[in-house]
Amino acid sequence: MKKLSIAERLGLVNYRNQGKSDATPHIDVDTDICNSTCPHLCTTYVCPANCYTVDEEGEVHFQFEDCIECGTCMYACDQGAVTWHYPQPETGRGVNWNFG
Amino acid sequence: MEDEKFDCIVVGGGIAGLGAALTLARNNMKFLLIERGEYSGAKNVSGGVLWGTQLSELVPDYWEDTDAGIERYIKHRRLSFLDEQSAFSIDFKSEHFEEKPYKGVIVLRSRFDQWLADKVQEAVMQSDYAEESFVANDILVEEILKENGRVVGIRSGEEKFYANCVILAEGVNNLLTRQIGLQDEYVPADYVATGIKEIIKFDQKTLEDRFQLDGLSGMSNEFIGLGATCGVEGGGFLYTNKDSISLGLVLGMKDLREKGGNPDIRKAVDRRTTSGDTTPDSDKVKPLKIYDILAAFKSHPAVRDMIKGGEVVEYSGHVVSTGDMRIMPREIYDDGVMVAGEAANLLMNSGKAIQGMDYAMASGVLAAKTAVAAKKKNDFGKATLKTYRDTLEDSYVMKDLRGFQNAVHFLHQPAMFSKVPNIACDFGRQFFTIDNKPTTKTKDMLKGAVKRHSSFWELLKIGFKGYKSL
Repeated sequence: MKKLSIAERLGLVNYRNQGKSDATPHIDVDTDICNSTCPHLCTTYVCPANCYTVDEEGEVHFQFEDCIECGTCMYACDQGAVTWHYPQPETGRGVNWNFG
Repeated sequence: MEDEKFDCIVVGGGIAGLGAALTLARNNMKFLLIERGEYSGAKNVSGGVLWGTQLSELVPDYWEDTDAGIERYIKHRRLSFLDEQSAFSIDFKSEHFEEKPYKGVIVLRSRFDQWLADKVQEAVMQSDYAEESFVANDILVEEILKENGRVVGIRSGEEKFYANCVILAEGVNNLLTRQIGLQDEYVPADYVATGIKEIIKFDQKTLEDRFQLDGLSGMSNEFIGLGATCGVEGGGFLYTNKDSISLGLVLGMKDLREKGGNPDIRKAVDRRTTSGDTTPDSDKVKPLKIYDILAAFKSHPAVRDMIKGGEVVEYSGHVVSTGDMRIMPREIYDDGVMVAGEAANLLMNSGKAIQGMDYAMASGVLAAKTAVAAKKKNDFGKATLKTYRDTLEDSYVMKDLRGFQNAVHFLHQPAMFSKVPNIACDFGRQFFTIDNKPTTKTKDMLKGAVKRHSSFWELLKIGFKGYKSL
């Protein structure tokens, strides 16, 4: 079986409000903490949807649009950088699992 | 306003919430069930097996229903120890498992939860409150309302709804349970894991032939060892659905955080998944990402052969408790409120099965029964709702959770994720290899395997712990 890239995997996810370009974020990340004092940057490898990435300068960036609402980052981040909410049904992102 | 007050508000339309709602409806309670997803199951992910006979108590003779929301029942079980090249399995298949009620059913939550939600709707229609009890989807509960320290209702946006009691069945990421102070606002990674999973679709006949399935019979296969998790705490699973399989991993989050950056694991994964889109970057060690471990698991020879020719149709993930009771809320009830299912971190992996959905159903039902009794007494205070805690303690849920804590600790020791499966596979390779040379005695094969990966002393300690705890 062909190895899937993360983009191909996420392409299979049925996200809510896909048409909305200005969806309300349901996770706030204080990336200043990631980029100053965090010793492990673990969100960049534990997040199953690759919402946390490191650029070539080593800076952490976050986007919520691909989030599959698993909750991993709210436990894995022990630095206080992640604040989690449930996404708003009407205006937020989040998932509609077809199989689950 | 008092007219519109409900006997009970259930937050969350998963298995715990639906189990509670079904019980409330059948006992003529006026309730409101609120689910934030577009439909029940929209936000739910599970590995796939609802263990035990709990479902037949809630929905008697569900197997008579031609579209019962279940995929298959468990007739064939397998536990596989994997090193990087081999699989050594314990395999059990029995006609006994055909007896009803089934002892485990494989489910896909999006389908199963909607089916169960339909049962709730039917029960509401037959109750005294057919026009006054509601199952409301697509509504987010943002706040639990309290007055004088007592939970009195919920708020969604500008709207407030009031009830004599609230059952929180919001799932493992229990933000509302934290909001009312039953659990700390920050829950550390120590006793949680992340599950990731793919649904791989097949032609139904191909699937049935490949896994030797007959009618609605199904197979569950759990995996442990380097070939499954690359040395990270956790394990893998494969469950046969009607015309697809659920394949995934559950990885201990603290261990993943520690090992994710480890270059040795990275190299091991790269070695095994050479084809694909990632080009090896020699001057920079990229961290091992969680889905790279899934890719490595899928490329293990034993797994690869089982999933050959299938098409991945969904990729999903969710946090799950590990079964360590230290993560549980400090209490599962308070004035006017009860917490059920994974919101109360009711999950266990005792080595025989990973039970979470049956615990959710059992606890939801007990919370609802407590609410019914409270209505009869017209007292929803803390002392009355304590019955929920007491009945849950008397049930198999808390008895097993308490009785198997040592097994949970035993199963989460590092040796279980590499050394023990390595010994099994090393021994298996020697034992099953026939190469027309003078054959080593079995005890010497075992001795060699143990020495190469561990020591007799270590194995003795592990064996003793296992003997006592399992």
